Order: sequence, then C-alpha cells, then structure tokens
Amino acid sequence: MKIRIERSGGLAGMSITNEMDAKDLPSTLLLTAKKIVEDQKLTPLPVKSIPRGAADHFTYKISIQDGVNQRVIECNQYNIEDDLKSLVKYIERNSKRN
Amino acid sequence: MPFKKNHNIINKNSHSLNPCDRICFIIPEYMNKNIVEKGTKIQKEQAWKNLIMTEQLRGRRLVTGLMSSMFSVSNKLHRTIYDAENTENLPGTLVRQEGGKEKGGKTVSEAYDYSGSTYNFYKDVFERNSIDTRGMKLDSTVHYGEDYNNAFWNGTQMVYGDGDGEIFQRFTKSIDVIGHELTHGVTQYEAALEYEGQAGALNESFSDVFGSLVKQYTLKQKADKADWLIGVGLFTNKIKGIALRSMKEPGSAYNDPTIGKDPQPGHMKNYVDTTSDNGGVHINSGIPNRAFYLVAIDLGGYAWQKAGKIWYIALTERLRERSNFQKAANSTYEVAGTLYGKNNQEQNSIKRAWDEVGIKIKAMK
Repeated sequence: MKIRIERSGGLAGMSITNEMDAKDLPSTLLLTAKKIVEDQKLTPLPVKSIPRGAADHFTYKISIQDGVNQRVIECNQYNIEDDLKSLVKYIERNSKRN
Repeated sequence: MPFKKNHNIINKNSHSLNPCDRICFIIPEYMNKNIVEKGTKIQKEQAWKNLIMTEQLRGRRLVTGLMSSMFSVSNKLHRTIYDAENTENLPGTLVRQEGGKEKGGKTVSEAYDYSGSTYNFYKDVFERNSIDTRGMKLDSTVHYGEDYNNAFWNGTQMVYGDGDGEIFQRFTKSIDVIGHELTHGVTQYEAALEYEGQAGALNESFSDVFGSLVKQYTLKQKADKADWLIGVGLFTNKIKGIALRSMKEPGSAYNDPTIGKDPQPGHMKNYVDTTSDNGGVHINSGIPNRAFYLVAIDLGGYAWQKAGKIWYIALTERLRERSNFQKAANSTYEVAGTLYGKNNQEQNSIKRAWDEVGIKIKAMK
C-alpha cells in the first residue's frame, strides 16, 4: 500500500508531495490507512468548507493505493479528520519530499 | 457626474448634503464610514443614509449591525498577542495586550509591533478604522504548531508558525507578511473575494500589494527604492531564495533543490491552470502583483498615495466575491479616471500596466 500526500497553499503557496509505503507506518497509522481504503462508503470531506474570509491555509490531497483499490481524499486544515491529520503529519515528517 | 453610483456628494462649506451645491467633492464609501464614526450628528445621519443607498444600489448586503454599533465603535488600536505554545489550540495563552509591557520575546514583539504598523498604515493613509472599519481588535497567535511552516488568517485572527528551521524561520519576521495577513481581513469585510481561481488570486494579490505598502509606508520609501518582495528573511540560509514572491519579477524569488522554483507568472500567457493551492491563488497572483508594481513605478513617488489609493478604492467599492482579473483591471482604470481625470497620466499608466501583463482594459462608460 502506497500513501501520497500533496500539500498545497499556505502563505508560500508551495505544493509539496510526500510518499510512503504503508509498511513503514506505525501499526495505529497503518490501521487508519487500511480503514480509509476499505471504507469506500466514507463520505468525502468537503473541500471548500473553510471559515468565512479565511486565507493562506493548507489544502491536502491524500491518495492511498492498495493494489487495485484506491482512495483519494481532498481536504484542508480546517476539515481534516484527526486520524487523517496524524497520518499526514507522520508521513510529512518521516518521508522524503518529492 | 463621476462616481454617481457609488459615491456621494457633500457640501464642503456647510457640511450638509446637497448634490446641487456649487462646491462639491466626491466622498468614497470608506470616508462615509469614517463620518458615521467620527462626524457630527447631522454628518453621521447623512453618511449613514449614503451608505444604505450605496449598498442598496449594489444589491449587496445591507450594512447590518452598523446602526447598532454607530456609537459603540472603538477608535483605538487594540492588539492582543497569544502564545499557542507549539500546539494547534487557538487562541492560546494571553501574553501581551495593548499598552502592556514588552514581554514574550522577539516573536511576540514582532507580531505586536507590525500589526500596529499595519493598523496605522490603514488609518493614516485611508482613514480606515482597523480591519472592519469599526475598530476590530487585532488578535494574533504566535508559536503555533510544531515546526509550523506557515502563517494564516482564519477569518477572525492572525496565526504564525515558528518555521521548521530547515526551510523557514519564524513568520513574524517580515512586516509585509503581517500586513498581508491583516489585509485578508480587510478583503473579507470589503470585496469578500472568493478564495478560488482568479478571485482568490486577486485576494492574494491585494494582500501582497498592501503588505508591501505597509512596509514601504513604515520605511517611508518611494516606489523606486522599495524591494517589492514579500517575505524577505523568512527562508533559512539553507534555501536559495530571497523571499516568497517578487512583485517586480514574479517567478524570480527562489530557485532551490529542496523547494523548487518560484512558480509565479507575470503575464497571462503563462497563467497556471491548476487545482492545487485553491486553483493557484498564490501562483497567478503574480500577474496582478506585477500590474500594481508597474503602475507604482510609473507614477513614482510614494506608492500608497496614488496607486495604493486606486487599488484600495477598487477593493472596497468596486470588486465583489467573484471578480476576476479583467474586472480588477477595468475597475482600477475606472477609479483612476474618476479620481484624477480621464486619459491623464494615472489612467494611461494603469492601461499600460495591465496591457503589459496581458490584460486589455475594456472601455468604461
């Protein structure tokens, strides 16, 4: 299973992509990643739900590929779920930037 | 009559409103708002009527709340700085309030001082009373998150990360960044430009324009002496770059193996179609940024006096949620004609500048 995080926006407006193989994840985060792919009924997060007038926030595109199954989630710093946020933070800190 | 739709006429001698009086001058919306706050009783009443009429003509929201707050507006600068202590909890612990002793270190001082500089810029140059024209408190949180590489406006306050020490240093370091963030608040209360695509890129560009003008005003710099850079000093010395963006030469601010090359275009032919960054709001803002730079340089002197004034009136009185680059170009041209006369230096300068970035002004009535 491969996980790809594309973070864009922020004041600097830079797009930064990080990738990690799920085997390098701690067990709790591996479980989170598996759950996201398996639970295809999970309601997609609303991309544009940001506070009125907000600016310079980060936006995320998270792609998880597990064999033929793929899940892509788009969200931002305001509506990212806690589990997903932990996964993003771990991968951003522990993988090489592309 | 110029500005017939969005401006009102006030008699200079009697201070009573009468469009038929001989000695008249144009009162833009922001001045009406100031009169509501500071004028005599009769001036307040008339300015209030003007604002309602203007809002109704535009089909925009009524100035709800303004009446009730007419006599409770604060005319004083009020800054509050909080410390998130490297968490993502907002606002965090109160560190410093208006007039309080200097404490909390350099980061707190920068957030405090530069938000004050921004407030003073808007007050002195445009007679604007804080972000919302009604003396809104300026709240800032510093030390947000761990190694947090960003600063943002969340709709109610400014938030600054410390940077990771690898790519970025603390985000309070740059006065124009603080001016940039506060200007997002001004835009929120004025044109309310949607944060997506061209409207979003205009939102970003206005923040860069006024962020840069805050710096220039504080340094008392003329246009030709300004650096026209956004975020000088934010990168660590490990990064090959001078700033986040260059208004003078979009695309030239950085070029580094770790973070790549500055992607900003300075011309419509290089406009970037993308879904990242809310449709490239920080990328395509290079186009209107350069247009402003060209006007400011061409007109010379202090950029806030003419170019800044034109852009401010366009932001506060002409642009709306979904305005695009063309609308911004036409609006600045129209405002320049109204303020300084048609086909004079200011209007011609604006036409040339937008033309140089690939946008042809469409003739106004």
